Amino acid sequence: MKKIRRYYVNGSGIISPQRTFDDQQFLETVQEYNTNVLTCITPDFKTYINPIQLRRLSRMLRIGLSAATICMRNANTPKIDGVIVGTGYGFLVDTAKFLEEVLGQDEKHVAPTHFMQSTYNALAGLVALSIKCMGYNNTHVNRGFAFETALHDAMMQLNENDALNFLIGTFDESDTIQYVINSRAKHYKKEFISNLNLFESTTEGTIQGEGSAFFSFSATPTETTRCSLVDLRMLFKPESEDELNASITELLSANDFLIDDIDVIISGESGDVVHDKLINAVCQKLNAIPKVRFKHLSGEFCTASSFAFWLGISILKNQKIPESVKSNAKDAPSSIRRILILNQYMGRNYTMMLLENYS
Amino acid sequence: MSNRIFITGFGVITSVGKNASENFDSLIHERSGFGALEILQTAHHHTLPACEIKLQDNELFSLAGIKSGFGFTRATTLGLLAAKEAIQSAGLTDQEIQNSGLISATSAGGIRELERYYSELKDLNQHGVFEEFVDTGNPGEHTERMAEYLNIKKYIGTISTACSSSANAIMLGAQLIKNKIVDRVICGGAEALSKFTINGFNALMILDTQHCRPFDATRKGLNLGEGAAYVVLESEETAIRAGRKPFAELLGYANANDAFHQTASSPDGMGAYQAMYGAIKSGGINPNQIDYINAHGTATENNDLSEGLAMQKLFDGRVPAFSSTKSYTGHTLAAAGSVEAAYCLMSMKHGFIFPNLNFKIPMEELSIQPEVTLQKGKNLKYVLSNSFGFGGNTSSLLFGAV
Repeated sequence: MKKIRRYYVNGSGIISPQRTFDDQQFLETVQEYNTNVLTCITPDFKTYINPIQLRRLSRMLRIGLSAATICMRNANTPKIDGVIVGTGYGFLVDTAKFLEEVLGQDEKHVAPTHFMQSTYNALAGLVALSIKCMGYNNTHVNRGFAFETALHDAMMQLNENDALNFLIGTFDESDTIQYVINSRAKHYKKEFISNLNLFESTTEGTIQGEGSAFFSFSATPTETTRCSLVDLRMLFKPESEDELNASITELLSANDFLIDDIDVIISGESGDVVHDKLINAVCQKLNAIPKVRFKHLSGEFCTASSFAFWLGISILKNQKIPESVKSNAKDAPSSIRRILILNQYMGRNYTMMLLENYS
Repeated sequence: MSNRIFITGFGVITSVGKNASENFDSLIHERSGFGALEILQTAHHHTLPACEIKLQDNELFSLAGIKSGFGFTRATTLGLLAAKEAIQSAGLTDQEIQNSGLISATSAGGIRELERYYSELKDLNQHGVFEEFVDTGNPGEHTERMAEYLNIKKYIGTISTACSSSANAIMLGAQLIKNKIVDRVICGGAEALSKFTINGFNALMILDTQHCRPFDATRKGLNLGEGAAYVVLESEETAIRAGRKPFAELLGYANANDAFHQTASSPDGMGAYQAMYGAIKSGGINPNQIDYINAHGTATENNDLSEGLAMQKLFDGRVPAFSSTKSYTGHTLAAAGSVEAAYCLMSMKHGFIFPNLNFKIPMEELSIQPEVTLQKGKNLKYVLSNSFGFGGNTSSLLFGAV
């Protein structure tokens, strides 16, 4: 069956370790971090959440609900038919707080607050509750596939009913517990580096990041349509460069494109000498295409590809690549039509997303 | 080309049986898994009884044919046991398994192991066998480990929508087949009991220290349970080509949100209504054709009232036979949707309606009552299964006889 369908992105809202929550700038000045942990630059939450609700919410629920609200204002959509969220580790801070309460108090006099706020679907539920959306609601939690399976879920829903309008979001949170425990699995660098020097690093491990991004998503363009998602692919633990290349080729050919049709590549290198091997090898062969990197700005987390997705739609919308993300000397063509996002998470989850300009 | 989704295999492990036939035997003999916690080390082992699988982790490992010392959590092992039974019941070849997708659901994943080794894992000076559980706090960990063990690469996903998770995993599996991403998906959920969940539900004050009483006026709350169940979904063409006889058709499904409260259901059960109505409508049948409902029926005051009212409203005075099998298994949280899907398949195959245990006094607010005795010889053509959860998530699956 030939796919001719496009999935339109009609707005976005993102809170990240850079100032991305408003349109003040497009990564022109960037924030430096020296502790291997990047945390969100947050807006005044009162702008997006009513004060009574605000008091009851954890930091991450505030960030997530604000990102969703920014997105809905940005897309100017009065009607949301469904909410789909992806997260890798969920609400780590509340999970750890609840766990420490249970273990530290020998299971006595435990309060329910952190437990309730640690549920993976708490954000999708909260967003639906806030806008009284009784439609489709789902939460995907598969590590480095969480955002992509959420997007894919929406794509399949839209294939069935193209009149719908979805809100697709992500969240993941920097947290000490995960940082410490996963250091055992070499997830993070032993030495402290500046995030801005991430790609000069020659050691194993990466830096920890966080964020929440929301996108308004439909099968028909609207007045605020930014670009479209053509298609996506996920690849679990590819064994070779060839396997990854084959997946990219298949994604392109299934949509009647050649690699020459790609104007910019957004690469999910994480500054980890081992985990970046495959992606570097693939990008090396595509060196004629302008390449962009982003994990020095977002840090690494399961749903970091949603930062790349926002970066991609912003590049297409602005027709401009910020200096802070350029990684090779190739200039983008005067008209940027298509962007390929190529991401990896901990050398296990590889994903590819193809974005196209809309005009 | 047909868009029909067939269920060609299933497997289930709960406190009432380590495979489908043991579960069936317990259901028809009204044996529940309720009792003191003996395997999980917790301060509540006498005060908060639950429906626990009375097998130590190493006993589960040997049942599943896996070695200890490789970081398999209890949830992963339960998942593998049920998934392997599902694969066997469908009779999938190695090649067919490889070409399948795997969608699994969990609410706690490997948090049981994380809490057990929490202080050791946090102290980087300590080293030992506990290090194999370094990333089990991640909910997707169990799915990826199952996928690696089963040799599935084609499509991997994990769903966590609290107590409706595995119903949503089954729906997502059906969507993957309809969109021709894969021809076959193994989908379901796995859940192991943990201090984390027991204390969480206890703090919310929705656990009954007695055996739970779904839909009874004296109900005080739910009993937690553990378990796993998976179904094999195939496109009609794939099932026919392989010469497999389906257990049933996944005729319809719907996912909605109550949008009422973070952890409670709306008093009028609007979300529950939407899910049931949507599933029936998507199956192209009418409410009056439903022969049996496997209710969510957690035995909390809140759920049973709103689910009951939603059933009364939807079926307009002619509510079909219904029962909650959580009175046998407890609430297996993310696994509940797939466990109860497996029970629906058993009901349809044998023509049995499993009775709702512990029901004595009807609720004042409702005019309906669950089945309390084993019903035999029923021709169950259309069966509905409900799964609702925190965050307002409500889902219903509709099974049709083939």
